[in-house]
Amino acid sequence: MILILPDGKQINKEVNREMKFRSLFIIMLLLSMIFVSACSNSKGTQNEGANKKETIEFWTMQLKPTFTDYIQNMINDFESKNPNIKVNWVDVPASDLQQKMLSAVSSKTAPDLVNLPVGFATKLVSMDALVHINEALTKEQQDQYFAGGLKAYTTYDSKVTYGIPWYLSIEETLYNAEIFKKAGLDPNNPPKTFEEAAEVAKVIKEKTGKYGFYPSLDLSLPLRYMVMFGAPLLNEDGTKAAFNTPEGLHMFQYFTDLYKNDLIPHSIITDDERKGIDEYAAGNIAIFSTGPQYLTQIKENAPDVYKDTLTSEGITGKSGLHNMSVQGLVIPKQSKHQKAAIKLALFITNPKNEVEFSKLTTIYPSNKKAIEDPYFTQLPKNPEPTDRARITGAKELENSEVLVDFKGNTAVANELQQALFDALQKSMLGKLSPKEAVQEAESNWNKILENNK
Amino acid sequence: MKHHPLTPLLFLLPGCIILGTFIFYPTINAIWLSFTNYNIVDKPKYVGLENYNQLFHDSMFWYSLYHTIIYLICVVPALVILPIFLAILVNRKIKGIAFFRSVYYIPVVTSIVVVGITWDWLYKDNGLLNYILQLLNLINQPIHWLTSTSTSLIAVMLVTIWKGLGYYMVIYLAGLQSIPDELYEAAEIDGANSWKKTTRIIFPLLMPSILIVSIMSSIAAMKVFEEIYVITGGGPLHSSETLVFYIFKEAFDKLNMGYASAAGVILFLITLALSVANLKILGKENNI
Repeated sequence: MILILPDGKQINKEVNREMKFRSLFIIMLLLSMIFVSACSNSKGTQNEGANKKETIEFWTMQLKPTFTDYIQNMINDFESKNPNIKVNWVDVPASDLQQKMLSAVSSKTAPDLVNLPVGFATKLVSMDALVHINEALTKEQQDQYFAGGLKAYTTYDSKVTYGIPWYLSIEETLYNAEIFKKAGLDPNNPPKTFEEAAEVAKVIKEKTGKYGFYPSLDLSLPLRYMVMFGAPLLNEDGTKAAFNTPEGLHMFQYFTDLYKNDLIPHSIITDDERKGIDEYAAGNIAIFSTGPQYLTQIKENAPDVYKDTLTSEGITGKSGLHNMSVQGLVIPKQSKHQKAAIKLALFITNPKNEVEFSKLTTIYPSNKKAIEDPYFTQLPKNPEPTDRARITGAKELENSEVLVDFKGNTAVANELQQALFDALQKSMLGKLSPKEAVQEAESNWNKILENNK
Repeated sequence: MKHHPLTPLLFLLPGCIILGTFIFYPTINAIWLSFTNYNIVDKPKYVGLENYNQLFHDSMFWYSLYHTIIYLICVVPALVILPIFLAILVNRKIKGIAFFRSVYYIPVVTSIVVVGITWDWLYKDNGLLNYILQLLNLINQPIHWLTSTSTSLIAVMLVTIWKGLGYYMVIYLAGLQSIPDELYEAAEIDGANSWKKTTRIIFPLLMPSILIVSIMSSIAAMKVFEEIYVITGGGPLHSSETLVFYIFKEAFDKLNMGYASAAGVILFLITLALSVANLKILGKENNI
């Protein structure tokens, strides 16, 4: 507001001051922007490494609160044996981990050791942002792990191993014996194949109104099912989609029929595995395929359902293959404490610590020596569901492999997953026939693979 | 009193730094990035208008833009008009009215994650909403709100409207309280009923607030993201994916930062045009 004053000089003074004010304001704004960009370009202060005590940052994927004590004790043990290394432990929720990792790496604030599943590491591998374990570890050190575990963390051309396998989980079937009994089915004779599961689901729906089956469709699961049904994902050299076969069509048809006949919940199309676990724990589903480590969660949250739970080998298709998931440890190249990180990684994956971890939940060690422990070969006196799950799974280890292999196309893994899932959705929602959907998936895959060359 | 010429500037400095850091610098940086092929991995390389060209031919971009426009058309009128009635309702001096004002405002301050989980349960096939609709014999079969491509966007829009009502109600309430009571009394003397009072007194005098609400809700509708991320994840089959969600996926799933920045610039231009249009249309009548 400009005050109108009788004195002409005053007006000019006011106007001048206002214009000066405005231009100074603009200058301040510009200065603050330059100030900000200058700050962002300078490297943050880093640990020189020449100090006597090193602090390394260790990220785990959603291990709190269930395993807080185990990890903390292990870290305390490590620190007492390595007095010059201090470990800063950060636990990250699974759903945030991939993005947190990517932003940490891109902002040059990556941690030193990360518990990262293969699926989340794909982008980092294509950026060559991880330490080459095959170079950092001696042959002896590498040989102590199962070949399958190391292979999961090795690039397709076998040139680089970028992670140390930590624990393995096998896909198993959890099923609610109570619902089986109500539907007049024999709980000791669970379905072993997809076909059997569909028939069981039908009976359960008719007799109890509950959903028999929850085959989660998120992440790489549709690709896994495809392989289980006997259709390979890619051709030999990974350049073209190879699932447009009778088996591939059968897989699409199978899920479409299940959905159309309301034998699986509609929400399966938008929900993820976590929601499936919730539904199972709520007693709404009879069969749930998952890693047996989730049994601990069900034990905590739904003890009633837990006591009715039996386990069986994972449901599979024509191929008879079972999937193995590998969780491992990776070291970003940015880390200024690689040696210390490797020390910690080797410590975490030694036989003693791995067996102890396996005693807390149904996972399997990646260390060959650890599997020799009687814990994995003998059933205890009064076996609980988790005990049975463990022995069953240990036997399955030989027949399990990581089923989804992107063959060098890890950079576009997410796009491929999305393309297959989109096509499957279209088939299930009736927007395309299963045949058209498989063809669309194939042509989209080929387009993506072509662009990735 | 002597004023040091720099005093007002010093007061403004903290605000300027924050604005500069979090708004102006990222904006200009994003505009620059939109002309590059930045993917976090490598250094950004200038590629001219290639991103914009690609966007033009990207059916997913147009699809999400289409959803955003539907959002605008449906949500904005609802959030401009409905809160007026809510505000009129709570603009009384009866005891306990403060309770109702708070209750209507609670959705605004409730975490979107909590809202998302709750509405997810409400929308289930065997959820409360379907139950009530079937009870009232309005439908025979449960509606697959979140798992059908035709209803997923509607489902999310309802949540946005529900969550925003209280926010705009408060703005209108402030506007209502500046309308002198004498006007109502004069109208009553002239024989006006409630409806006439609403349309002839409240609406015209509330115009400045309506303008603000219109602009704010338009911008909010263009930027909608959280509801979609939490409730449907853009699905099924991208049927509830809006522009910001599309940008998010391109940027953080596929790491196509340059491409996503280009889409962001387009979003910025559309929002700017919308705000200017709002000002011109609604502002004209009131010489604002």
